[in-house]
Amino acid sequence: MTRIETVICIGCPMGCEIKLTVGAKGEITKISGNRCKEGKSYAPQEYKNPVRILTATVKTANSSRPLLPVRSARPILKRLLLPSMPVLAGITVTAPVRVGDVVVPNLLDTGVDVIATGELLS
Amino acid sequence: MPEGDHSAFGELNMKLDTEVLIIGGGILGTSVARELSRYRVDTTLVEREVDFGWGSTKASATVVCQGGDCLEFRKEYRNSRFVWDSIPLMEPLCRELDVPFKRIGSLSLIRNNNELVKYQKMKNLADKYLPDLEPHQWIDRDTLRRIEPHLTRDVIGALYDPKPAVTDPVRLSIALAENARENGTNIMLGTEVVSISRGTDSFEVQTTEGLIRTRFIVNAAGVYVDKIAAMVDADEFVVYPVKAWIGVLDKKVGDIIRHVVTARPSRPGELIFVNPTVHGNIFFGIPLQLNKRGDYSSTRRMSQAGFATIRSLVPDVSEKDIINSFAGYIMYRNYELGWHECVVAASRKIPRFINFCIGFPGVSAAPAASKEVIRLLSSEGLQTVEKESFKASGRAIPDFSEASDEEKKKLIQKDSRYGHVVCRCETVTEGEIVEAIKRGATTMDGVKYRTRAGMGRCQGGFCSPRVARILARELNVPEEQVTKKGKTSRLLLYKSKELLEGAVNEPA
Amino acid sequence: MNLHEIDVAVIGSGPAGMAAAVRAKETGAKNVVILERAEELGGLLHQCVHNGFGLFYFHEDLTGPEYAHRFIEKTMDAGVRPMLETMALNISPDREITAVSNKNQFLKFRPESIVLAMGCRERSRGALNIPGTRPAGVFTAGTAQRFINVEGFLPGRQVVILGSGDIGMIMARRLTLEGARVEAVVEVLPYVGGLIRNEVQCLHDFDIPLFLKHTVTNIYGERRVEGVRVAEVDSRMNPIGGTERDIACDTLLLSVGLIPENELSLTAGVELDPVTGGPFVDGARQTTVPGIFAGGNVVHVHDLVDNVTWESEIAGESAARFAMGERIPAWAGIKLKAGRNIRYVVPHTISGNEDVTLYMRVREPEQNVRINVGDIAGKSELIVKPSSMLKIELTSEQLKKLGKNVTEVVIDCQKWGGK
Repeated sequence: MTRIETVICIGCPMGCEIKLTVGAKGEITKISGNRCKEGKSYAPQEYKNPVRILTATVKTANSSRPLLPVRSARPILKRLLLPSMPVLAGITVTAPVRVGDVVVPNLLDTGVDVIATGELLS
Repeated sequence: MPEGDHSAFGELNMKLDTEVLIIGGGILGTSVARELSRYRVDTTLVEREVDFGWGSTKASATVVCQGGDCLEFRKEYRNSRFVWDSIPLMEPLCRELDVPFKRIGSLSLIRNNNELVKYQKMKNLADKYLPDLEPHQWIDRDTLRRIEPHLTRDVIGALYDPKPAVTDPVRLSIALAENARENGTNIMLGTEVVSISRGTDSFEVQTTEGLIRTRFIVNAAGVYVDKIAAMVDADEFVVYPVKAWIGVLDKKVGDIIRHVVTARPSRPGELIFVNPTVHGNIFFGIPLQLNKRGDYSSTRRMSQAGFATIRSLVPDVSEKDIINSFAGYIMYRNYELGWHECVVAASRKIPRFINFCIGFPGVSAAPAASKEVIRLLSSEGLQTVEKESFKASGRAIPDFSEASDEEKKKLIQKDSRYGHVVCRCETVTEGEIVEAIKRGATTMDGVKYRTRAGMGRCQGGFCSPRVARILARELNVPEEQVTKKGKTSRLLLYKSKELLEGAVNEPA
Repeated sequence: MNLHEIDVAVIGSGPAGMAAAVRAKETGAKNVVILERAEELGGLLHQCVHNGFGLFYFHEDLTGPEYAHRFIEKTMDAGVRPMLETMALNISPDREITAVSNKNQFLKFRPESIVLAMGCRERSRGALNIPGTRPAGVFTAGTAQRFINVEGFLPGRQVVILGSGDIGMIMARRLTLEGARVEAVVEVLPYVGGLIRNEVQCLHDFDIPLFLKHTVTNIYGERRVEGVRVAEVDSRMNPIGGTERDIACDTLLLSVGLIPENELSLTAGVELDPVTGGPFVDGARQTTVPGIFAGGNVVHVHDLVDNVTWESEIAGESAARFAMGERIPAWAGIKLKAGRNIRYVVPHTISGNEDVTLYMRVREPEQNVRINVGDIAGKSELIVKPSSMLKIELTSEQLKKLGKNVTEVVIDCQKWGGK
């Protein structure tokens, strides 16, 4: 049994709809619809391992700023974006915080930390 | 909460006694309140909104001292008499209360010979009716091009009336109310009249905030004037709600028109207009339309008609220059006949009940008509003894953007918050916003109408988070309780992360 | 530093202002100041907590605050003096700046040169003339972004977004992540207004419905938004009767375009291009007023911060050269004219003697095209879209081919057969 999966390439404004033919074991047997080489390498990667950088905010204590911007230090699986949010909602950071400081270590056991992208002065 | 707001009752459903109750805090209600505050009379004013002038007053084109249009204004109408009598009163009133006023004159466009004949008749009538006021003048095409170079070329001339001026009707209402309050009037905002019952020598008025017992009622409820009158069977008149639509142009084209310019479509009573405002924008409007009351929405058709109108008068205007538009209601008598008369009368059936509705042009007629209301109250039995302590003058909030460099320097030296520009489009400072809140603004719109913060080309995009924060701080309420215009119009429904924590409170 | 000894004054401290100030300093200007009305440097970058900044400039995927942080450090290291909580009210044609601040109070000074870097603002509801009532709950996407990412509030929990500009799509994702529900993104054009990356990662990733060729035809709710009416539009963008549907929501966000912020420029007599909404500039980013330069979104709305930075560096360098006494001829040279399917080209003129990068946007999306710069250069593109800026780099060698007497070069986008 094979099935067709579609990935939209984000490499350029063209936004090619790339069709992947996927075999029974999940192996990609055919790639079509891409108009350049980049699409051909992007599509299987985006299909097999769609990852994103999570960007959000966390609450602060003793600061005039109510929120501190944060992000995952590295991309995490796309499907973990929404489940990560309640974790961040439960965090309150206290000044001082420097850019790059770890705010949540090992987010949802991904091995990826959530780090501060802004500063919080005390 | 500022003084006078809600506080009169202490707690809900307490009873309040007053001699005169004014229902409505628009230009008419506040004019009567201020006029009445000259006398030793215990007066209370109730307004359903949380601020003054948010009904018909707000929907005004801001033009006053018109009335020279004697096709519209005829001596057989009382309405005309109030408009004419107010012409000499308006400027001193605005000066006294420190409200902007600028006399700019009006031009009635003459587009063909039929119209010329009409305007000849109008000029003759005006010369006859208004011998003491500055007369009209004919303007030829060349002069018209010189004084209004952007105006349509499709005209044969114009009739110039030097009297019309522009002001800020909402600010005038606020100034009148502030002055009345200073002279002892009890003012209750956010207080809606629910029912009125009649006793032998008084009325019991049930409001959303409690019961008020009063001897006299002045019904200046604007769009709801007939509904209020009907509560005591004093609705001896019929008014129709007609919808006015006004478009606003960016200040950067603010000098494209310098006078009030009107043209007359074929139907009597209909008028299209364009005029500069006292703050440097341009307003333009389409003929009034009969409409369902309370529907303040503007429609696509109105916008299209509005744009077609402005283009027919000022062809250079582009759609990009329009920064806002709004709709409002004017109560109109005899709409079906095309002429309009006001209601300024004591009820024939119900003693001590005065109905007060001008409709169009309410702001222009207010000074003289409110004096008439005092006369009516007195003939209904109210004792009007003048107070010696009456203080006539008011002072506006400093206007930083209009101030000279020297004045700016002084303002900042006195209070550094005048050095903090919050609204960049209109150059409104934190100092002005704080002062507006001190004087009674409790909402975003309240701040906007007093200071113009949020009225510029970005329409609050930049300053609204900042104004909301200042409001919360000065009123000492959580920021998510700040409203656009009172009641349920909260700006921000949730705190950050609130929706993720599960414990979500439904907004009230 | 004495206010009367300022060489270069930069107005605004977003990515454009900081880049211009740093480059002015590097070029050799002694006293460089930035006037910023907020309490800190960085402008709107602080509220753009999403990533995608600096992919080309730093070769890293940074968030807005991180990009700001890098440039704030560069600015401080370079010795630029920030004047915070200071707002320029007026610039005279001979470059006298009037400003207010709640620290330094009322200021007037005349720097040797000025860089305009005020950025842009969003189109509002009034400008769009959307019919309906006037309730609370209608926000521009950027205002909502500030409330959500900086001020700590969510405007509502059930949201419709009009316009598929980048900020609108990014806010669709932010709102979804924060627990709100985005009912629809409504776009009047037949294609998305923002970048493809944002369409995929902000809308598709979260299954947010996108209605192309639709618009909001009414807003409901007297006090707070209660819903909107959405309808399909015809080719002339008029709503088609019978296609209306009502969507319940408590919030409407508008992401319908950005306008360069040039009120201050006008006080100085700087002439604006009605197409870009920004000043006419030459290759050095000098405006029509000598000694006043401009860079970034104040000139034209960019797609990427990297391009803002590069363009402003040109303005900063030129401003420094001007301040040091070099006279850059006022807005002269070879005129660049937008030809077929080109909406605008920046700069508007070039000297013809120096390497130059042209920035442009097309009017309509088109496939298989060639962008021609007169007959001296060209670039083939598989696809061009209004949302993506095009860049063409020209060397002085190429420009020599123009010849001496050329006063105008047309840039056009031609259909190209390909193979």
